[in-house]
Amino acid sequence: MATLHNLDMRCPSLWNFCKATRASLPVLLIICAVSHTARSDWTVATAGALSHDDNVSNARTYNDKVSDFSASATVSLSQSIPIGESYSLAAGGALSGQIYDSLTGLRNGSIDGLLSLKKKWGLGAFATWTRAGISLGRSDYQDGYRDATLYAASLELGKRIDERWNLWAKYAYERRAATAGAVEYLGVSSDAFSLRGRSFTANAEYTLSERFSINLGSLLRHGDIVSTAQTAAAGYYLSLNAKAVAPDPTFGPGAYAYRLDGTTYGARLGAEYSLTAHSLIGCGFQRVETHAQGGNNYTDSMPELTWNYRF
Amino acid sequence: MLKRFIGTVGLILAGATLAQAAEMHAVVRDHKGLLVADAVVLAVPVDPRSALHARPPKDAVDQVDKQFVPYVKAIFVGSTVRFPNSDNIRHQVYSFSPAKKFELPLYSGTDAPPIVFDKPGVVVLGCNIHDWMIGYIYVSETPFFAKTGPLGTAVISDMPAGEYRVRIWHPSMDHAEETTGQQVTLTADAPASAEWQIRLKPNIRVPRVSGAASPAYP
Repeated sequence: MATLHNLDMRCPSLWNFCKATRASLPVLLIICAVSHTARSDWTVATAGALSHDDNVSNARTYNDKVSDFSASATVSLSQSIPIGESYSLAAGGALSGQIYDSLTGLRNGSIDGLLSLKKKWGLGAFATWTRAGISLGRSDYQDGYRDATLYAASLELGKRIDERWNLWAKYAYERRAATAGAVEYLGVSSDAFSLRGRSFTANAEYTLSERFSINLGSLLRHGDIVSTAQTAAAGYYLSLNAKAVAPDPTFGPGAYAYRLDGTTYGARLGAEYSLTAHSLIGCGFQRVETHAQGGNNYTDSMPELTWNYRF
Repeated sequence: MLKRFIGTVGLILAGATLAQAAEMHAVVRDHKGLLVADAVVLAVPVDPRSALHARPPKDAVDQVDKQFVPYVKAIFVGSTVRFPNSDNIRHQVYSFSPAKKFELPLYSGTDAPPIVFDKPGVVVLGCNIHDWMIGYIYVSETPFFAKTGPLGTAVISDMPAGEYRVRIWHPSMDHAEETTGQQVTLTADAPASAEWQIRLKPNIRVPRVSGAASPAYP
């Protein structure tokens, strides 16, 4: 997430939020129309998180690193429509928001719609499953130059080994389309917030007791990353390899964002405790290391507290 | 002729014994002394003729809020069980258990045909759509059984007086049910009672909600 500069996290001013809603309304209408045609399984879920990011700016040097606390909340509505004995179509939408403690310009809100087709290769809870999905979303930020439309396509594979072990993996292609500002440097694109990337994640969950479980996730991602620098020296170093450069006043009046090619490796360890059959609280620690073009490497650590409720 | 005579005498004897109906009270606790619900108490008459009058009844296991209700159902072998679906969504009920393998394709309401459980044993129920749904049907070889309620107690009534081998079963029991056997003598004068203290293993189930089920990274 940090590799994308937290650009797909959200929660906004009311005006920005309305823009996002308008943009994604057709998607939600399609979802509702599809759901009306079949006897389907609606799921309403809510989630919240408090987290700290020690390098929101994705900076290489100590002087350019900016850390901050954030709080996020998501409400999602999805439904599963069984098709035959082994396929199910899922359609859903989510509204989410995120506020930062210091970096107010990163406050954002978003709306997403997703559609997926799942196949279970057998009967029962322990059958292997695969899923293909696409999603479309819109994110709006308090500092509007970060606003973007989000596209993603994914393939997933999973298997529950037994009541304790659950394994799954996901390959995703994501695209973030932002509007480029005025060109600052002749011959260099100013479209610094439009990104493309491919990622592979592998996850394992282990249930320790009736209420307590732990999970481990790993990430490999290759594609565009955004690194922001406030100091001239770091900026010069980044600009030698940047595909795009744009002012990034969210991080200060002299800050610039640089889009680079990079590969990110990450790991996440989490623990969850079931409060009821419908809700759980958890904590996690996520660490990512990005190797960007021209040796612009950086790391990011993100501890977080989470809460989930599924109706 | 002789066969018919012996059969008639047997039925008369069984009827006469039934007239002296007895009752048994059971209490089940776990190893910490806490009362255990959903334990099946089974009383097997030492004299099998005592169960001659029993007829398998019709039973049902419902699906409410994406859960099997009841969680544990005890039935007599040969019983017919319906699986009504009280949710407003479809379920796909199945069992892989040796005592009864079956699958009810996706259905809603009361559309599913009833299933006959003709072999004693434990049948584990699942739903192919909602993986966390789990339920148990205990198919008893004896018509004399009951299930403990939230207070850990069960009463088996209308039993012919006589000798019984009594045992219990629970889905989380950490030892074989045969090890719980007790010899109990029932008389018409006063109800008999029996107590058990069992070891329960953690009830690890597929979770209904999991934060980790969403990919760790968006």
